[in-house]
Amino acid sequence: MALRRNRPGLTACAIGCAALALTACSSSSSSSSSPSSTSSSSAAKTVTLQFWSAYNTTDAEASTMANVVIPQFERENPGIKVDSVVYPYADLLQKFLAAAAAGDPPNIMRSDIIWVPQLASQGVLLQLGNLPWYSPIAAAALPGPLATTKWQGQAYALPLDTNTQALYWNKTDFKAAGLAGPPTTLAQLYADAAKLTIKSKQQFGLGVDGTDIWNVAPYIWSNGGGFTNASYTSATGVMSDSGTMAEVSTLANLLKAGDIGSDFRGGSGAVSGETGFPKGEYAMYLDGPWAVPTYTALQPPPDYGIAPVPSGAAGSISTVGGEDLVIPKNAANLAATEKFAQFLDSQFAQLAMAKVGQMSAIATFGAQEVAATPYYSTFVQQLKTAEARPVSPGYTKLDTDFSNELEMIIDGKVSVSAGLSAAAQQSNTALSGS
Amino acid sequence: MIPVSRGGRRPVARPSAAAARGRRIATPYLLLLPAGAMYAVFTVYPLFRQFDISFYNWHIFPGASNPFTGLSNYSQVLHDPVVRTAALNTLLYTVITVPAQMLLGLVAAAMLTDRLPGRALWRALIFIPVVTSWVIVSYIFAYLFNAQDGLANSVASLLAGHAMHIDWLAQTWTGNAVIWLVGIWKGVGWSFVIFLAALDGMPRDLVEAGRIDGASEPVLWRKVIIPSIRPAIVFVLVLLVIGASQVFTQVYLMTQGGPYDSTQVLYTWAYQQAFTNFEFSYAAALASLIAVVVLALSVAEVQVLRRNPGG
Repeated sequence: MALRRNRPGLTACAIGCAALALTACSSSSSSSSSPSSTSSSSAAKTVTLQFWSAYNTTDAEASTMANVVIPQFERENPGIKVDSVVYPYADLLQKFLAAAAAGDPPNIMRSDIIWVPQLASQGVLLQLGNLPWYSPIAAAALPGPLATTKWQGQAYALPLDTNTQALYWNKTDFKAAGLAGPPTTLAQLYADAAKLTIKSKQQFGLGVDGTDIWNVAPYIWSNGGGFTNASYTSATGVMSDSGTMAEVSTLANLLKAGDIGSDFRGGSGAVSGETGFPKGEYAMYLDGPWAVPTYTALQPPPDYGIAPVPSGAAGSISTVGGEDLVIPKNAANLAATEKFAQFLDSQFAQLAMAKVGQMSAIATFGAQEVAATPYYSTFVQQLKTAEARPVSPGYTKLDTDFSNELEMIIDGKVSVSAGLSAAAQQSNTALSGS
Repeated sequence: MIPVSRGGRRPVARPSAAAARGRRIATPYLLLLPAGAMYAVFTVYPLFRQFDISFYNWHIFPGASNPFTGLSNYSQVLHDPVVRTAALNTLLYTVITVPAQMLLGLVAAAMLTDRLPGRALWRALIFIPVVTSWVIVSYIFAYLFNAQDGLANSVASLLAGHAMHIDWLAQTWTGNAVIWLVGIWKGVGWSFVIFLAALDGMPRDLVEAGRIDGASEPVLWRKVIIPSIRPAIVFVLVLLVIGASQVFTQVYLMTQGGPYDSTQVLYTWAYQQAFTNFEFSYAAALASLIAVVVLALSVAEVQVLRRNPGG
């Protein structure tokens, strides 16, 4: 018989201390207030909610949330104040864990989509699926982002913002190589990459920003390969199937031939696509919509276009990225928190954040956000076929296992077949908790 | 009314012998209490709790159910190929960096006990890395060994006569070598200070008597100096081995255990399991095994060195 024990007090304190100590060297919150000040002001009967996120503070994301979205919510909901606490992305999860272990989590958090099943499996999150307001929002959400909110068939999060990758192509390089336009098929992509590579200029035809699933999934999925079965319980026969193997072989061979740049293998000398593309180091690469404002700010801006991911045997399939909203179990002021969560998925909040690079996870706002931000059009189109990465508490480990084996394949330490079989075997262990 | 003595002075109440004895016994414990309490709360309790957690499928959230799993976490740890790599890397780190730190520290201490010009400056320079943050040192070394514009590649290019772009930190053995180098560079100053104090405290007449008797320098070191500073050597050895078994920061910041976990050490793997993969019980089992091994090793070191004073 399995024994069950619950000992929250001292354990939470000890783990909280450990987590805080381990993260003590990391940079501090950019919030103007203390993250531990979750409270309601009983004097004025004002409820103060803590909203934790990792919004970018160097552009307009964090400021739009703090100065546009939250004030509007507070105007519409007198008696509820929202304290926006912004942490660096690398620290947010550990801060949340430490706070949850200590029994003092924020009221609501904007969570990376890959953290949702992990946190849900720890029993940290409130199930949202049964709340009366959840269904209409879920029904209006894009299918890819919605898939990221579930664990074991239950909804633990609310889709908030989303993104995906599309093909950035350098018009000047294409013209110089005598190519009329962006490739529409994977075969054409690789043929163009070879033509666009000029070794004497350190110009690579294609940039692939790493061996992790986020970066290689669009190629593998579009070619008919994959990582796990549909229920995210096994990688056997999927991660090592013919579609995945063929695509991994192609990418490894392109790297060997010098048509893919240093970013694929990574390391301290690697130049990311976003850095190398405007400098002419990569003629093509996949990236999200956030690169556009960066390129617009450059003088002179690069002459480029954005096209859908080239199609393979299975079509044009990119990776779903973005964030969900999560509410910790037993969080204080639940009614006010629920109101705020609904507001963040309202038209006002979604379109305000869309203007600063946060694409809406709500399908019905797609046309309006494209009207306001025309460069979203390719990404909105791409999102219709984009897929979520394996939605499993073991995703992080699975991703590391796959990435490690791919690096070994690239370095010639193992064959493609042996590497992917090993990755599948290791991933099964990671998925066993799903 | 307060009684006064015949001299008009208030009588001094003399404590009973039992009270004085009680105070004498209690005083050291009271003085130790704050440190002892902190040690109990922040070291002893987490240590025992860690052992406890290692037998459950433990979840971080208060109130979550934590099923008892017996020894399954230990079995998982012992069958994990990454643990084998991490254990080997930790062992290599210990075997390479501990003797190097001790030897260099002893040599530096021996040189700086004599009247060397600028002795104070040299002492300070050797000790500065000890007080510099691990994080800063790790980032500086990562920059020095950067594949594009690191100093190491500039030197390599100069020696080779053509541009070199070695990605030191992205390869198994060069990555490990840089990790060892950081450990040695940062740790030499600590053993240096201990050895310096030991050498300064050593009776000079022993050495002088040896010299008068015609003993050569190697003989003097082997027969007189080393035995005289043996307690310091044992102290440095035990603490450096414990420290080496806990190697973490430079690995975490410079290679993140990569490529493909080949520079992983035990604590980076435990950390990754706990705070990236949320496998808290697995991490607790691994940390418990490390604690047992390091404790056994430390006891063995002390016993061996005490039993064998002749070296």
